[in-house]
Amino acid sequence: MIKAQQVEVHLPLTPAVFAILLALAGGEKHGYAIMKEAALPVGGCISLGPGTLYGTLDRLIRDSLVEETGLTDDVRRRYYRITEFGQRVLAAETSRLAILVRTARARADRGRDRLGERTGGAGV
Amino acid sequence: MRRPNPFLFALYRLLLRFYPSRLRLRYQDEMLQSVRDACAERRGRAPRFWLRLFADLLTSSIKEHLLMIRDQAVARPVFFHALILGLILTMMGGAAAVAFQQLLRRGADEPQIQMADDYAAGLASGQMPSDVIPRPSAIVLTPQVVERGGQDRSIDPLIQVVGGVDIGRSLQPFAVVYDDSGKPIFFNGVLDQAVPTPPQGVFNYLRSHSRDKFTWQPRRGVRIAAVARRVDGPHPGFVLVGRSLTLVEEQEGLLYHATFIGWFVLVGLLIAGAALLSRVQSSALTPG
Repeated sequence: MIKAQQVEVHLPLTPAVFAILLALAGGEKHGYAIMKEAALPVGGCISLGPGTLYGTLDRLIRDSLVEETGLTDDVRRRYYRITEFGQRVLAAETSRLAILVRTARARADRGRDRLGERTGGAGV
Repeated sequence: MRRPNPFLFALYRLLLRFYPSRLRLRYQDEMLQSVRDACAERRGRAPRFWLRLFADLLTSSIKEHLLMIRDQAVARPVFFHALILGLILTMMGGAAAVAFQQLLRRGADEPQIQMADDYAAGLASGQMPSDVIPRPSAIVLTPQVVERGGQDRSIDPLIQVVGGVDIGRSLQPFAVVYDDSGKPIFFNGVLDQAVPTPPQGVFNYLRSHSRDKFTWQPRRGVRIAAVARRVDGPHPGFVLVGRSLTLVEEQEGLLYHATFIGWFVLVGLLIAGAALLSRVQSSALTPG
């Protein structure tokens, strides 16, 4: 129950946070790899600069959504992974967005139908 | 593999100083490595790439600093509220001091405004200056014939001050009437044995405006609250009524002193109170 409340506290996620969690949900990554994936269409086409990325990562680590793996292939490249709690937050946000997408699609379809009826009635 | 432009990379490293120090110490190497990696794989144009990087650094630095302030305010609310209260107190104290100073300064013009209006009205109606302005009984203007050899003779005025308004010392108002060219023709106050004359700009201003109020410093250490008026009528000219600002400046000094001491005491109490409250809160939160 307490965890559920904590998940709610983090919603809605900002596009940058969502892109970082989404990138890390695919596996452990270092900073630049997160930036690259976020910039892809599957990552949300989010342009993350180093300033934004590391500030956001620091907050995610503080809030226990992300953690350092402790592994590194270079002193200048640390790897990060999503925590179990981070996955729950990501899942909650995904559900929230899915509801929004469903609603938006349904309304857009209804709107299109209404427009079709009206233009049909006008004899076009 | 493309290497980053050395100058722009050095500039980026330099500008990283604007990033909050805690984050910089922790992530600086990684951030610079990300820039190197991004440069190595860059596809777009260099200016646009670097512009994005610098813009990101600038916006994220501002954002992170603001977030840190917010976090500190949440973590230490007593000190944050004390700081806000201190700022409000400082602004209110400063505003009150400025308002009082303005009141004092405007008050210093009060008798002169009425006197200048009365004198100007009297002179405009054709009265002689000596009938309008209190007679300068203690100041005598005596024409003195000066022989300069042969036929050369000239007349110089000799001013004798016997005890009238000494502008440099007295707090009494004085008045000077000037002709249309700005030459003094009647006065009941002198400064260093001479009739003070304001800058020509004052007379120029009065040719298009009826009255001028200004602070005038005819010599070092003497500041006067002066009110000058244009005189219309048969003998056009100007009348200036002034009064030393010595007393007002003393009051202003006292006001600033009192304001500063009051502010200092209040801020001291605020800091002490915040420290005490913070300590009480910390001990209340400590288990046992």
